[in-house]
Amino acid sequence: MPRPLVTRYEDDLKLFPDVWHKVGIALGVAIVLLYPFVASASWLTVGNQALIAIVGAVGLMILTGFAGQISLGHAAFLAIGAFTTALLGEHYQLPFWLCLPIAGSIATIIGMTAGLFALRLRGLYLAIVTLGLLYLVAHTLESYQSLSGVGGQKFTAMYTTFGQSPDDMRDVYEKMAYGPIVLDWDQKLFFIFLAIAVLAAWAAKNILRSNAGRAMMAVRDHDLAAATLGVNPVRAKLIAFGTSSFFAGVAGGMLALHQRTITVEYFGLGVSIEYVAMIVLGGIGSVWGAVAGALAFVTLGKLMQTLGPKLPYIASLPTGLQTAVLFSLLVIGVLIVEPLGLFGIWLRIKRYFLAWPFRY
Amino acid sequence: MTDVIMLAAAGLSLGAMYALVALGFAVIYRASQVFNFAHGELLGVGAFSMTSLVGAGLPWPLALLVAMTITGCVAMAVERSVVRPMIGRPVFVTIILTLFVALLLRALMIIIWGVQPRAIASPLGESSLALGGAEIPYQTLTQIVVAMLAMGGFFALLKYSKLGVGMRATSTDQEVALALGIPVGRILGATWFLAGMLAGLAGVFAAMKHAMFGHEATLIIAFRAFPAVIVGGLTSPVGTVIAGFLLGMLEIFAPVYLGKHLGNFGRNIQDVFPYMIMILFLMVRPYGLLGTRDVERL
Repeated sequence: MPRPLVTRYEDDLKLFPDVWHKVGIALGVAIVLLYPFVASASWLTVGNQALIAIVGAVGLMILTGFAGQISLGHAAFLAIGAFTTALLGEHYQLPFWLCLPIAGSIATIIGMTAGLFALRLRGLYLAIVTLGLLYLVAHTLESYQSLSGVGGQKFTAMYTTFGQSPDDMRDVYEKMAYGPIVLDWDQKLFFIFLAIAVLAAWAAKNILRSNAGRAMMAVRDHDLAAATLGVNPVRAKLIAFGTSSFFAGVAGGMLALHQRTITVEYFGLGVSIEYVAMIVLGGIGSVWGAVAGALAFVTLGKLMQTLGPKLPYIASLPTGLQTAVLFSLLVIGVLIVEPLGLFGIWLRIKRYFLAWPFRY
Repeated sequence: MTDVIMLAAAGLSLGAMYALVALGFAVIYRASQVFNFAHGELLGVGAFSMTSLVGAGLPWPLALLVAMTITGCVAMAVERSVVRPMIGRPVFVTIILTLFVALLLRALMIIIWGVQPRAIASPLGESSLALGGAEIPYQTLTQIVVAMLAMGGFFALLKYSKLGVGMRATSTDQEVALALGIPVGRILGATWFLAGMLAGLAGVFAAMKHAMFGHEATLIIAFRAFPAVIVGGLTSPVGTVIAGFLLGMLEIFAPVYLGKHLGNFGRNIQDVFPYMIMILFLMVRPYGLLGTRDVERL
């Protein structure tokens, strides 16, 4: 069934333009809801990691994909979110559903403050400035043991209600029955993270079709032209940077809850590059791309861990680098052949079937 | 006073490395409009090929030249295989590609040279020059002089040779250069080759700072040299060299004179100091020390 002709602006703005989107979404919902019950423990962990990655990647997509600003400092905001969550749990026993928005807000405040002068710069300067931000945040965290924990390790407690004692809190890690459904810790986390990830993707999709989102895209395509049309480029970039930091902060908080022990070293340039890889792999400029990229990145990462040691040359590398190399090859290949990534491939497939039996 | 002289010498030699890296980075940016994030790995290529060449028994200066040439060739290969096919696509995509090329280069180096740290023996040993009570190792002095010579040679090439004229023309406007019969493709290759040579030299020096060096040692130098590029002004090779020396000096002096006043934050402040300077600098002069203000038309 071809997509009906778009004749009204309302049709163009629709979230689910036709019946196929609805069918697809329904199928997706069914698969995702069943996943934690059929997946093995290690694949459930992969699922949780993927959901965290989706939130982070959607955040970076807003900054890089919509507003066209390259950031290598995404890991810094993840770190801020992660350590905020850990500290809030440690000192105030705040429940996690309050910690995550606070973590996001603090990341936003720091991001906006840095952005105030970083975003005066045009083009590629931001990449280097955010790289500096990454080092500054890591250095600040490492300098104070009260922030980063003794020996650079920080334990994250997950409280569910106010005023819980640390002993009560341990229940959350146990297997519990909710009505007829029995969920263990990873499954509980999956459903919580799923809700956050869906919310994040939905919010990003709405930002994209709002005034702010269109301003971002105008700045991405040509900031000078956008300025002459009455868009304030610095303001648009700042909104993008702030929103992106918020998502990253929340993703960092989720990561802290999931890993339970976090270190400053983890949040290095490598993590920033991983997120860039995700959005590039998925396809720059669409929310769908961020989600697909994050999913593909995490699942392929797991597959490559098993594949890596079987390949010649690659096997002699340290484990972390094996995955990195396979990914680099994949990303370079995708970018040279199909610059729009998985999203571009999807568009090609869709066009083929829409035009069938004709070639175009 | 003795301290100051010794620190200044150390600062100059560190600054020389930064200047070499920053110069190459800026030159590549001018030619291809690309941030080459694989530049850090080029330093490693230089340093590791040097260990192999010295190990094979080549005399030191010759080994240095060959190591620089190898690094230049690797840089040229990167340009040919990754940057060239992306011409006409958004620059942004190319820059992201260089990040992944960096990962591949690192993997390649580990496959060839392994993960064990290695050492480059200094030909000058431990001897040092006494100067007003201060002891400055000859190695440091030689590094400063050689780096200066290399950069001087590069600038002379840029100003007086036919290749240099071509490079300047290409960086100003590729299409016009092409129309005037300048082989833009070959010029781009040559630019990357020269930038790679400078990076190779910096890599060897960076490795010699340590008794044993691993992959991190050279990478750190490169990542700390990035701020020099910004402070100097992306479009100005001379500016980046000045900024490189400046940041090198500041980085050596900062922990000694500033670090102890900052409490916990001051520990290892040299790790982030170049970036702090850069951020402060950007607030005052966003286009850098000698960079030109962008003029753009729609």
